[in-house]
Amino acid sequence: MAQNFDVVVIGAGPGGYVAAIRAAQHGKKTAVIEREYMGGVCLNVGCIPSKALITAGHFLHRLEHQAPEMGFTVKSLSHDMAQTQKWKQSVCDRMAGGVEQLLKGNGVTMIRGEATFKTAHELTVKTKTGTETVMAKNFILATGSRPIEIPGFAFDEKFVLSSTGALALTEVPKSLIVIGGGYIGLEIGGMYANFGTKVTVVEANKSLLMGLADPECVQVVQRRMKKNGVEFLLEAKAKGWTKSGNGVEVTVEVGGKEQKLKADKVLVTVGRKPNSDQANLKGIGLEIDAKGFVKVNAQRRTNIPHIFAIGDIAGQPMLAHKASHEGVLVADVIAGQNRVYDAKTVPSVIFVEPEIAAAGVTEEEAKAKGYTELKVAKFPFGANGRAVSLMETDGFVKMIADAKTNVLLGVHIVGPEASNLISEAALAIEMGARLEDVALTIHPHPTLGETMMEAAEATLGHAIHIIQRPLAAKSAGGAGARANV
Amino acid sequence: MAEKSIQLPELGEGVTEGELVRWLVKPGDKIEADQPVAEMMTDKATVEVPSPVAGVVKELKGKEGDIIEVGQVMFVLETDGAATASASSHTKPAHSEAPAPAEAKAALPSAPAAPTPQSAPAPMAAQTAGGMEVYPPPADAKVLATPATRRLARELGIDINTIKGTGIAGRVTREDVLRSSGAGATAAGAPVYQMPTIPRPSYTGPAGAAEERVPLKGIRKKIAENMQMSKHVIPHFTLMDEANVTALVEMREELKAQAEKLGTKITYLPFVMKALIATVRDFPMFNASIDDAAQEIVYKKYFNIGFAADTPNGLLVPVIKNADQKTILQLSKEILDLSKRAREGKLALDEMKGATITITNIGSVGGTYATPIINHPEVAILGMYKIVDKPVVKKGADGSLELDVIKSMNFTITADHRLIDGAVAANFLKAFISRIENPGVLMLDMM
Repeated sequence: MAQNFDVVVIGAGPGGYVAAIRAAQHGKKTAVIEREYMGGVCLNVGCIPSKALITAGHFLHRLEHQAPEMGFTVKSLSHDMAQTQKWKQSVCDRMAGGVEQLLKGNGVTMIRGEATFKTAHELTVKTKTGTETVMAKNFILATGSRPIEIPGFAFDEKFVLSSTGALALTEVPKSLIVIGGGYIGLEIGGMYANFGTKVTVVEANKSLLMGLADPECVQVVQRRMKKNGVEFLLEAKAKGWTKSGNGVEVTVEVGGKEQKLKADKVLVTVGRKPNSDQANLKGIGLEIDAKGFVKVNAQRRTNIPHIFAIGDIAGQPMLAHKASHEGVLVADVIAGQNRVYDAKTVPSVIFVEPEIAAAGVTEEEAKAKGYTELKVAKFPFGANGRAVSLMETDGFVKMIADAKTNVLLGVHIVGPEASNLISEAALAIEMGARLEDVALTIHPHPTLGETMMEAAEATLGHAIHIIQRPLAAKSAGGAGARANV
Repeated sequence: MAEKSIQLPELGEGVTEGELVRWLVKPGDKIEADQPVAEMMTDKATVEVPSPVAGVVKELKGKEGDIIEVGQVMFVLETDGAATASASSHTKPAHSEAPAPAEAKAALPSAPAAPTPQSAPAPMAAQTAGGMEVYPPPADAKVLATPATRRLARELGIDINTIKGTGIAGRVTREDVLRSSGAGATAAGAPVYQMPTIPRPSYTGPAGAAEERVPLKGIRKKIAENMQMSKHVIPHFTLMDEANVTALVEMREELKAQAEKLGTKITYLPFVMKALIATVRDFPMFNASIDDAAQEIVYKKYFNIGFAADTPNGLLVPVIKNADQKTILQLSKEILDLSKRAREGKLALDEMKGATITITNIGSVGGTYATPIINHPEVAILGMYKIVDKPVVKKGADGSLELDVIKSMNFTITADHRLIDGAVAANFLKAFISRIENPGVLMLDMM
């Protein structure tokens, strides 16, 4: 017996479950099909568990390195990673349970199984108990992505870990090699460094977080991680590994020379690839681009008009919040509303230490877009009272504006709570705010948020809490002058 | 017992008010849910308004001839249920189903449904990237406008990239969007077509002259507006020719008896429709619209044929949807049914919407030729006239000339000169007439 729906969402990650709820809110008979976890990678083996572990690592680090200066003497401190994992799991279970509650509360049918398109209108779903046929007027593909494997490093989750395996270790490894200095590698590597692991990051590019973050922000993080004992091998290629004792020996090529690194485990985080090779997407004639993303238009509609694609499978950036935004968008489109993806920026956050967050463009990107004159300035967290009282003074807020109009184009933050501060920047950019709009908004004292206001002032050339050139001289200097702090 | 105030529901797209024609119930009447309570005349048609719930009519708000606005309380019911503030009656589900991506409410009357390629039944797969474009296109990264303003522009069917912002640093404000939608400073409600500034001269008759004044309202008002708008927007031209329909008359006579046996009357109109559709397939610009707001030509891949019907209330244009997929017999039946209900004022609104080209059959009344007005946003209207016996000079087999009497019928094609050149229209009319003169050829176009 085939089940019939108005909307069937494949994948219950942050794109899929959001799309399903919104579709149900529109009164559509909706189902969501999930083969693994409600909440997807994000809630179960991605964003949420990694944040839990990072919080734990950070806590330990503060106890060991910052508490004494505040007057604490830690006489004996022990850490049970298995308990940390239990707590992490409780966090994940709670969030995933919440997703199920929401789906149920909105009347969404949940089907657990692996969906494959039989035709463009019909899915075959393999469940625990058998096979079901599911039909719908509209389908939303939200099947996400998976970690890329590199040759010679097949994941066994024992010695060669993917991010999923690395987030499930019940013992802290003594040493860890991280292949790939992207955001997942640095987040997990940094977390284990806080737990006391000797971490070596092997990165093929000449810098970390290449193309993912503002280079000046990356410098701050790299410095801090080095201080924390993390080693970096840049422009280095991992060639292969062998078992050595109870650990691994990884062969790395740096500057034409081979080098052997020993560690308990090796974590491979060289990126993720869309799951477009599954579910018979090609078989029903869905167009897929060279990078494996399903081709979609500005409404996230595929070449087959009643099939939509959102999230990681539909293109960069592969971020949960982009997927959720698209989920709402697509459900609205299916309900007959004229909607389109026209967000100006997808903010990004990297939970390294200190955190990096960005909204809008970098200087380079602004120039590429034709902004010839830019105003760029930074305001350091070291000059912010709350940051100092938090003992978190590394980093800055950097703003980039069009010198002709003072319209804010980009904000790059490295520092405490950057991830929470960036939303104001995203709002400002979406609203088309000018530097004055941010500078003239009263920000409460004493908070980290004041750095946004001060950075806007600094970019205008007259921040209060750092020394800049006098206003008179500034106006003589003309537009486009760069205030370096 | 509880009292319930019932509001006038949405009567159709873009309809904001209606004239109360008559009440079908009176105070004290016990009525069922969905029972019609009143007849309302809108600018498009007369519709029956049903009650959303059962109850006893307590009070009727409004008398016949009153104009009632959508949302205004129409009548009060005493119901069994618990007291609730108010309810809205419903004529038809106002909610439109996907998958058509753009709802028509976003568009001006000049752009029926935002002309995205997806709104037409699109072929499966094999779509080019171009076929996946969305209208209006997404805001460029450089456009300064808040997310809410961007969405407003989209809902009004306006490409925000084309608006020159008047705000600081070139910001496109909410007012800029409303202004370019023609909606002026009206709130973000349904956009209305702003009549171009056309002089509205007053008229004062000679003192004491025997004159009667009635309000210009309802269907007459809508006809007036539509005609004025069409003449204002479209540069019309009309081409005329006559056709030898002797063979068509013979064919129809033959089929007449057959059709009667099948329970229907067969007229010339379905034959003309078939010949028109076949010709339009070769000349797609006749089955198109110009989206002035977007500066785009919209070619329609479906054939909905409107036909002008004279009714006691005025001119109405019922539409035969997907006429290309219907047989002559089916067309005949549908024409008869739609005409009858048009005369009775019982057409549903969507039976008068969505024509892609229109036929006006003036011949049934008289006249040799007319210059009809195009039913905007269509771009052409075909006129058909009376069949008359006509003497013609015929060339015999030996080259000698002789007089013959034929059945002759005049046709006109009136077209939008922005899209259709004179020579194209001439070729179109020639191709059409050749089909009408040889009705057997229609067999070749049969699906």
